[in-house]
Amino acid sequence: MLRCWPVLLTYLLVACGLPRDPEKTSERIAEKHELRVGVTDDGPWTNAQSSEPSGIEPDLIRQFASRLGAHVLWTRGSETSLAQALKHHELDVAAGGFDSKTPWKSIAGVSRPFAETADKKKHVLLTAPGENRFVLALDSFLTEHMRASKGAGA
Amino acid sequence: MRGIPATPGAERELHKAHVLAWTSLAYNFSTIILLFFVISGSQALKTEMTGEILSLIPPVLFLFGDRISRRPPNRLYPFGHERAVSAGYVGAAVALLLVGVYLMFDGGMKLAMREHPTIGGFPLFGHVIWTGWLGIAVLLWSAIPAYFLGRTKRKCAEVLHDKTLAAGADINVADWQSAAAAIIGIVGVGFGLWWADSLAALLISLEIIRSGWTELCTALGDIMDRRPKTLDQKRDDPVPDRITEFLRHQPWVDDAVVRVRERGRELTAEAHVVPRADQVSVEEISRSGQLACEIDPRLADVTIAPVTAIPEDVARALQAEDV
Repeated sequence: MLRCWPVLLTYLLVACGLPRDPEKTSERIAEKHELRVGVTDDGPWTNAQSSEPSGIEPDLIRQFASRLGAHVLWTRGSETSLAQALKHHELDVAAGGFDSKTPWKSIAGVSRPFAETADKKKHVLLTAPGENRFVLALDSFLTEHMRASKGAGA
Repeated sequence: MRGIPATPGAERELHKAHVLAWTSLAYNFSTIILLFFVISGSQALKTEMTGEILSLIPPVLFLFGDRISRRPPNRLYPFGHERAVSAGYVGAAVALLLVGVYLMFDGGMKLAMREHPTIGGFPLFGHVIWTGWLGIAVLLWSAIPAYFLGRTKRKCAEVLHDKTLAAGADINVADWQSAAAAIIGIVGVGFGLWWADSLAALLISLEIIRSGWTELCTALGDIMDRRPKTLDQKRDDPVPDRITEFLRHQPWVDDAVVRVRERGRELTAEAHVVPRADQVSVEEISRSGQLACEIDPRLADVTIAPVTAIPEDVARALQAEDV
């Protein structure tokens, strides 16, 4: 019971709309049903060459988008251009094999890891900075995914 | 016991002070570790954690200082080791100031660049909750015990007349105030006000700068043999005047100028005295010195120097400072 109340409290706060997004990302997605994602090539994680991006990360993002009831609007670019676009809130998420030590974390937000490789690299997605309600939703999704895949692996 | 005021219960207070110092260290470590986990993208939490790390300095200086300062005088250090703590304090205060200034620029830049702090989810008990709420819980832990710890230390410091302990108490006060500022910052971010975080960080860094400046002034004052002040540094300590008054009322004394210096928890006084007649008994001089020494429990030694006239530079000790 004691473990329950902080969780209950935070669900209550989420129900009250807290935390909020300063630039209203969650509201915009709910309204326009559009998740703006930037991709850049990186091995098995993201293949941005084909008309519809493929790979581990695009698959994950499509799952997340469907949970939000949104379709994905893909943008291709270099890491630098994607990070800049996130910073200016022109994109919501960016994928391209980033890990938790990515230098872009001083510009963009970083999600919770969704996979850990043999060399201890924690793979993450980049997010628009400070859109904390949106980031929390993404983090919840990715953490669930991580748990499920770990359970499946074991 | 050497190096503590000759008041009843001082030894017990010293023991209490040791317990408080160790408690502070353990407590500060716990807050630093907890803060480390919830820091995420928050500048306020980062600044608060740096402040907590700096709060380790006064208890450490107290524990070291207490050991060193009670060493008896020897040929190399004929006046004893009481000043060791003041010397250590200059370094610590400079560190406090520099880190404070760095954090002020860091927070100021984030505010000016309109950087939005990203604070995401934290997996806990099979759920993912917003790290900000956890941050607030940790901040409450870094605020509430600090408040009570600071008050207890302050009382103890007054009995012992110990400045490191008083500084520790001040830092605890600063800690709970800055934790409160950080809580407001995080709540602000929760409501979508991105600037609340760096603004809180800015306030906390100003608090660190203020502490550093106060400690630096105190420590430099000690080293420069400034006139003793009360522990809060607000008023002059009455001891020099009381010794002067006492000596001037002695039947053999015509005029007296007393200069008192603080050495750690102790005071030492140097009195230049002009006797009424050329013939003064040595016995009378040393008895007056002993009696003067009993005026305040902190007085370790009163040296009386009989002179025909007060030397010019010594007489200046009575003049107001020309600032």
